[in-house]
Amino acid sequence: MSAAGGAVRAEACAWVIETEGLARSYLMGSNQVRALQGVDLRIAPGEFVAVTGPSGSGKSTLMHLLGCLETPTAGRLCLEGRDVSTLSGDERARIRSTRIGFVFQTFNLVGRLSALDNVTLPLLYQGRVPDARERAAAALKRVGLRERFDHRPAELSGGECQRVAIARALVTEPAIILADEPTGNLDTQTGADIMRLLSQLNGEGRTLLAVTHSGQVAACAGRILYMRDGRFVPAPAENGEGADTQRGRLAVGGGESNVPA
Amino acid sequence: MSLPNTFLTALRGLAANKLRAALTALGIIIGVASVIATLALGNGARAAVEASFRHLGSDELQIDAKKAIEDGVLVPYGEPLTYEDGLHMPASVDLVDRVDMSVLGKSKARRGRIVLDTTVTGLTADAPMSLIAGRQVQPVEWTDDQPLSISDLFAGGRFFGADEALADANVCVLGQQIAEDLFEGDDPLGEMILVNRQRCVVIGVLAELEAVDPQLRHRVQVNEVLIMPIGAAISNLYDEPPPISITAHVVDESEMQAAKTQISAYLRQRHEIEQDDEGEWQDDFSLTTKREILGARQEAAQTFSLLLIALAVVSLVVGGIGIMNVMLVSVTERTREVGIRLAIGARQRDVVAQFLLEAVLLSAAGGLLGIALGALAIPLAAAVNQGQALLDPGSVPLSFGVALLTGIAFGLYPAVRAARLDPVEALRHA
Repeated sequence: MSAAGGAVRAEACAWVIETEGLARSYLMGSNQVRALQGVDLRIAPGEFVAVTGPSGSGKSTLMHLLGCLETPTAGRLCLEGRDVSTLSGDERARIRSTRIGFVFQTFNLVGRLSALDNVTLPLLYQGRVPDARERAAAALKRVGLRERFDHRPAELSGGECQRVAIARALVTEPAIILADEPTGNLDTQTGADIMRLLSQLNGEGRTLLAVTHSGQVAACAGRILYMRDGRFVPAPAENGEGADTQRGRLAVGGGESNVPA
Repeated sequence: MSLPNTFLTALRGLAANKLRAALTALGIIIGVASVIATLALGNGARAAVEASFRHLGSDELQIDAKKAIEDGVLVPYGEPLTYEDGLHMPASVDLVDRVDMSVLGKSKARRGRIVLDTTVTGLTADAPMSLIAGRQVQPVEWTDDQPLSISDLFAGGRFFGADEALADANVCVLGQQIAEDLFEGDDPLGEMILVNRQRCVVIGVLAELEAVDPQLRHRVQVNEVLIMPIGAAISNLYDEPPPISITAHVVDESEMQAAKTQISAYLRQRHEIEQDDEGEWQDDFSLTTKREILGARQEAAQTFSLLLIALAVVSLVVGGIGIMNVMLVSVTERTREVGIRLAIGARQRDVVAQFLLEAVLLSAAGGLLGIALGALAIPLAAAVNQGQALLDPGSVPLSFGVALLTGIAFGLYPAVRAARLDPVEALRHA
């Protein structure tokens, strides 16, 4: 078994994320809630994957596990070929610091800090990064914020805040950016702008996984996965998007056909 | 996160709530300031006690009349010590080779139309020697390492000799200020003045003197003395024998206990003291050696510092609880921020460091301000405590160290609590 695992790992560098039977359950009082019930997922470098499904379907839990914010209760999670499901707290913090970028629905910027300081923050937690502020400024420029670097989140519009948050996720050059309802708190126009930005970043080769309710977000993804009751399921028939269903199924099985060249 | 960045983060955390930080630090400020001020009071009192017994050499015994407390007032108990008690002591007690005596009395000093109210000091002839041996006074701007001789104390003339003292000669030595006031520039030596209607010849004028101990300088008017032989002073100023101070010089320091026994026997005989039913002598005098005074003083100082340490601990614990309370509130308020920091790569120890450093910065700032405030309060404390307050140099590092420890001790729990937050839960926090 361990030999087989080793073999998988050796060739698994082809996947940014690879999970096997990934499961997570919580204790709510005396009830065990099985939020995620054994999920297999592979994401290749440069992919843009959308995970969608009703509330409570387990998509947020999936994102937290992929982002090393939580540990799985069963199954295996490999990040760039490395099994991270059993790492210590400090090691997971190191992964979050260097390999993961988070974008949240509510932006989650530190209110006391300027836009530039917010983007510099992840680099500070990496230890000595001599050109941290230059890199942060470059990231802010990349997401289209040309000025107002010294403004605090409260002085910025929602769209600008989300751009700052995306810059913060980008600045560490992570293996994957995990976005949780990235347009959920934005109006349609601003949301479209943000999705355009994310698509551009994906076009530059960045791997993205977005958890969303929004068709607008899902439409930008190269692959859509549907979740219900803690599992991936085929696309609901009434959507009439058979192709997506097919792609979702393929993704569960491996998704090679969707891996961009 | 590197230390400078953690430092900056903690500073920013505090700056976000300046008033709260200031109020929290106030607990530590007051605690440290009170420690500094009370230690200064203790130190001042100790210095004053030391100074008042400095003249007592290790070969000396101080003899005091015992006093009793009646209706809250000190009253003489039994017979007072008299000039005769002292006068006959060297002859009657083998182990005592000489005795210094002094008496103080108010009197008018007059020359022509000039009349001054003065305090007359009656002394024995060897008094200047004891003054110099005890390093009590020196000419102004005297450098410490210079040896002092009796003639250095005089601007002109001399002190009276043993024969003059025994003969109750009506001679006097004037302090520099008194000589100035009475003679207004004329040469006083050999001139006659009236001390309480008794004619006295001025045989010496003292140089301008000051107390060696800077603390005593404003309290001891060494330049306003009028010194006479003690016998002459007594017969001039008093109708009945006045109480006097006696210091006995023992022949051999190692025989101090034997000397005490001999002196006690001598005084018991003179004062006709008897034993009570249990064989205890009902002495109306007490004998004190320098060693006993130092021992008692050290004991008192130890009790005093223990009390102060308890006070310091109590006030700093109160300050520390204030810090802990505020840090717990701060952690709750910033739960979401902690979640964000953890999500973007902060380790638990980064979060601990951030919050712990905030607490330590608070207590350190409180400590420094408290030391400054305490130092500023010392003149004030001195004003209400008869000039007896002196900054204890040891109290500065002590109180600062305790303030820092308080910050660490009471900041650790909130910091660890912040770091142990579940990032997912923390991010959901409103």
